[in-house]
Amino acid sequence: MNSSPEHNKRDYGLWQRTYVPEVFGGLAITARHFFVNLKNHIRRLIGRKDAAPGAVTFQYPEQRRPLAPRLRSLHRLTKREDGSPRCVACMMCETICPARCIYIVATEHPDPNIEKMPEQFTIDLGRCVFCGYCVEACPEDAIRMDTGILEFASYTRENMIYTIDQLLSHETAKPDAQDTQ
Amino acid sequence: MPTLTIDGQQVTVPEKTNVIEAAKTLGIEIPHYCYHPGLSVAGNCRMCMVEIEKAPKLAIGCFTPCTEGMVVFTNTEKVKQARKDVLEFLLSNHPLDCPVCDQAGECWLQIYYMQHGQYESRMMENKIKKSKKATSIGPHVNLDQERCVLCGRCVRFCDEITKTHELGIFGRGNREELDVFPGKQLDNRYSGNVVDICPVGALTDRDFRFQVRVWYLGVQDSVCPGCSRGCNIQIHYNRNRPHHGHGRRVARLKPRYNSHVNQFWMCDEGRYGYKFVDAGDRIISPMLRRGAELQMATWGETLAASAERIRAVNPSQIGVIAWPQLTNEELYLVRRLFVDGLGCKNVSFSVPSKKDGGGDDFLITADKNPNTRGAGEIGLPIADSTGDILQAASRGEFKLLHIFGHDLLSSGLDQPLVESALAATETVIFQGSNSHLTVDRADIVLPSATFAEKSGSFTNFEGRVQRIHEAVPPLGDALPDWQILNRMARALEMGWDYQGTEHIFKELAENVAAFSGLSYCVLGDQGELLGYKPTNEAHIPTEPVTTVII
Amino acid sequence: MIIDIACAVFNVLFTGLFVLGLAGLLTWVERKQSAVMQDRIGANRADLFGWDPKFLRPIRRLGLFHPIADGLKMILKEDHVPPNANKALFNLAPFVSIFFALIAFAAIPFSDRFVVGGHEAAIQVAPMNVGVLYIFAVLSMGIYGVFLAGYASKNNWAFLGGIRASALMLSAEIAIGVSIIGVIMTYGSLEIGEIVRAQQSSPDDLLLGFLPKWGIIMQPLGFIIFLAAGIAATKRIPFDMPEGESEIIGYFVEYSGMKFGMFMMTDFVETIVIAGLTAALFLGGWHIPYFYPEQATAAVVILQALVFILKVAFMCWFMILVRWTLPRFRYDQAMRFGWMALLPLALVNIVLTGIMKVLVSG
Repeated sequence: MNSSPEHNKRDYGLWQRTYVPEVFGGLAITARHFFVNLKNHIRRLIGRKDAAPGAVTFQYPEQRRPLAPRLRSLHRLTKREDGSPRCVACMMCETICPARCIYIVATEHPDPNIEKMPEQFTIDLGRCVFCGYCVEACPEDAIRMDTGILEFASYTRENMIYTIDQLLSHETAKPDAQDTQ
Repeated sequence: MPTLTIDGQQVTVPEKTNVIEAAKTLGIEIPHYCYHPGLSVAGNCRMCMVEIEKAPKLAIGCFTPCTEGMVVFTNTEKVKQARKDVLEFLLSNHPLDCPVCDQAGECWLQIYYMQHGQYESRMMENKIKKSKKATSIGPHVNLDQERCVLCGRCVRFCDEITKTHELGIFGRGNREELDVFPGKQLDNRYSGNVVDICPVGALTDRDFRFQVRVWYLGVQDSVCPGCSRGCNIQIHYNRNRPHHGHGRRVARLKPRYNSHVNQFWMCDEGRYGYKFVDAGDRIISPMLRRGAELQMATWGETLAASAERIRAVNPSQIGVIAWPQLTNEELYLVRRLFVDGLGCKNVSFSVPSKKDGGGDDFLITADKNPNTRGAGEIGLPIADSTGDILQAASRGEFKLLHIFGHDLLSSGLDQPLVESALAATETVIFQGSNSHLTVDRADIVLPSATFAEKSGSFTNFEGRVQRIHEAVPPLGDALPDWQILNRMARALEMGWDYQGTEHIFKELAENVAAFSGLSYCVLGDQGELLGYKPTNEAHIPTEPVTTVII
Repeated sequence: MIIDIACAVFNVLFTGLFVLGLAGLLTWVERKQSAVMQDRIGANRADLFGWDPKFLRPIRRLGLFHPIADGLKMILKEDHVPPNANKALFNLAPFVSIFFALIAFAAIPFSDRFVVGGHEAAIQVAPMNVGVLYIFAVLSMGIYGVFLAGYASKNNWAFLGGIRASALMLSAEIAIGVSIIGVIMTYGSLEIGEIVRAQQSSPDDLLLGFLPKWGIIMQPLGFIIFLAAGIAATKRIPFDMPEGESEIIGYFVEYSGMKFGMFMMTDFVETIVIAGLTAALFLGGWHIPYFYPEQATAAVVILQALVFILKVAFMCWFMILVRWTLPRFRYDQAMRFGWMALLPLALVNIVLTGIMKVLVSG
């Protein structure tokens, strides 16, 4: 007996077991795709705008897929109306970060009603796992992952470390997003 | 000795014990803000409400003495509702500062809200803005009036413990504010304690401000090395996130309750005197003088060089200046190595300070060393005072001087004498943790660990032997002094093999009469007096170790 | 004499360029055809070192620079020889492999005989009366290239790949040989030109009155067996377990640069050879059904060659279709398929052909 479990076996009829007809069935499917797509490609080529596209792919660098509204992309730090960071260096994000990739150094804010602000706010994207916990933990809405920036590969580890100025310079990809209250 | 029932459990307590303390013995925690076991009872926060059978209304646990047959409930719906209502009042004008508040994580408003509050805010009016926010009211303390719950602990501390009367509560109703009296500063020698006893973030530590969030800190029990009182402390250290607190591993010191020594308190001098642990002048590598310069070397090279020079001279030509900052174990090894092992007769330990220690009648003592008593009990000095040793050295009687820790060149000793002694001695071995003027004059430098980096015990001026524990590993290549001495003895082929401080302490207790009967087990976390007489019974701490809500 | 030499030179050049050109083109076809089959667009990025003028845009869009880029890449890449390899054999193997694949096409005719300058000629490099045997002989020599590659690499995986390749090609080529016997019995010749001529049917000789006597009609079982075994002989998916780049790796794992390229080329050339053989033996070669030329004029010869090329191209297309449709056989499945399905069926086909022949002639 075959050692494979019973449920892995399927009852093939004699027709299927001869293999050839099933092969031709498969060939018919792929051939149909070939000819239908070829027809659409040619119709588009000769300028028929109503023709269905011959391919479902996106031509990536020029043509981008629409991003889902909840997508977590590169981080940014939001700003107050005067352009200073909203962040108060409470360390919630640093604490929750499962990858421990956020490094905040706090300092005194000149306004005693704000009191605290980050002197350094560094994210090591080489370690970040894009879980979005930092955004959820933030009590000040100071960090968001809505820049829509997905390409930040780099040749060095150092370039993957984003400082507070870089994070503040990122803009939202959602034009209607409220930055300041 | 009344017997009462709390939440169905019977307990017998001494006369005049209040319900909070009685419940504490049963492990039942009654939430409170204004009550502090070290201060008088004020009864103004109304958080410690309990239900007492046959009493018409809820009563406050702090001001209700236990009576015979009393039946107390601490967890009924009525009690819970009362706590919730009190919290709602306390929080109605409390700012949402938690993200920027240093108290967050050890704030009793946060803790009790999570335990008992959990209500939706019903506050319709604007919160009252108070005048002082993030204002320093003294060299060590920051005040934020909005965060204050007006429990008055700090006011009572200044009135009852330090009797300096700097703080008061001013105004009426929801405009009541905590503040210093006009023209005064909160600058007494114990001002840091108001930060510890403040249950909220109203009084925060300026030294600790924004350094590390408290939940990143680890805690290790220790003893303050600042003076011969030996106040019990906790070392709060940050080992995993070096970008916080400017890379300082020891973030702050907090007092630890010990009824025999310091109660709940410690002085500011000790509290902020830990900075040398992570200071830039720490010696992180053994050094040897090659030519005119001190150069980094390995432990092997350095110890071999030390052993060679020690062996080359007659024991009577060796002078040793030990250090009362060393633990009992280390001082014992100093005696074992230099006196018993080598036969050296010139060992001293005390060096007068330049300025007066300024002892007071509360905690601070004039002697700024934690283990002067221990050094004496162990049998140091052998013959002479440090001054005599230096005199002999300046006469050229010594070929080798082994100095532990002391900065002789900034001490209260006669400076020309020190200069001439150092100049006249062929080899100066320095063993210590931080670099200073004397280190520059040494030929061999052995880097040692600070109190936060080693284990051992100190004996305070009353003769109480208390444990210290390693909170952080020694910086760089530094080693605890007992390990350095152990290695040096091995380099001198004395056949030592001490495996740890407990090993040394056991031998110390066997060989030094004053320490007989003591062991690390007996010392526990509250220490024990010299001359301890062990009983046949299992060791019971003289007083139950209380978990104190500070 | 001069005409003979001219004919020979022309035939060699024509066939050689045809096979190599088509093989190069097949790399592009393979990319684009698979893309269209899978609703993709396919490679369309290569340009001439960044030079992208408007008039070249359509070529670029079609990805026609990619075969050139491939070739350049192959040539410029480091040609690494493993330090422990048998150098001579290692370098020889790809040449053996591609050489035998290329010369196989010599026996396949593009057109019927025609008279030029008083000499009889045909677009065929080597018209020989044992053409079928020659092709088998040459194709089976291809095993040596593959096995040498595996052996000389001094790499256990390459060695196992070589063994798998030998076993597969052996089982496939026996099935090819036996399946062709039916064709030979039907048309009574070993010369491929003769077989094609025998498939041409005069108007009164049509099967059932309308079907030309092509191999696919006279030998349907033989056709399927030949095609299956032929695809197996090319070592391409679904029979690519000798190579299996993506997981099991095969005989050319140690090869790089142009030598690797030659192995890839061999696969494509073998595809063209099998396609040419199929076209000649089963699809009537240059024959155009219902077209009966009085005389072999130049136009007729060109037409015949075009028709043959069209048939070869169709078979190539079909084989690539198969390659992008079916998943890979496991080694044991391929062996069982070769020895326990194709070979017995081919033998049955011989018996059936014999019976039919007796029945029809008797």
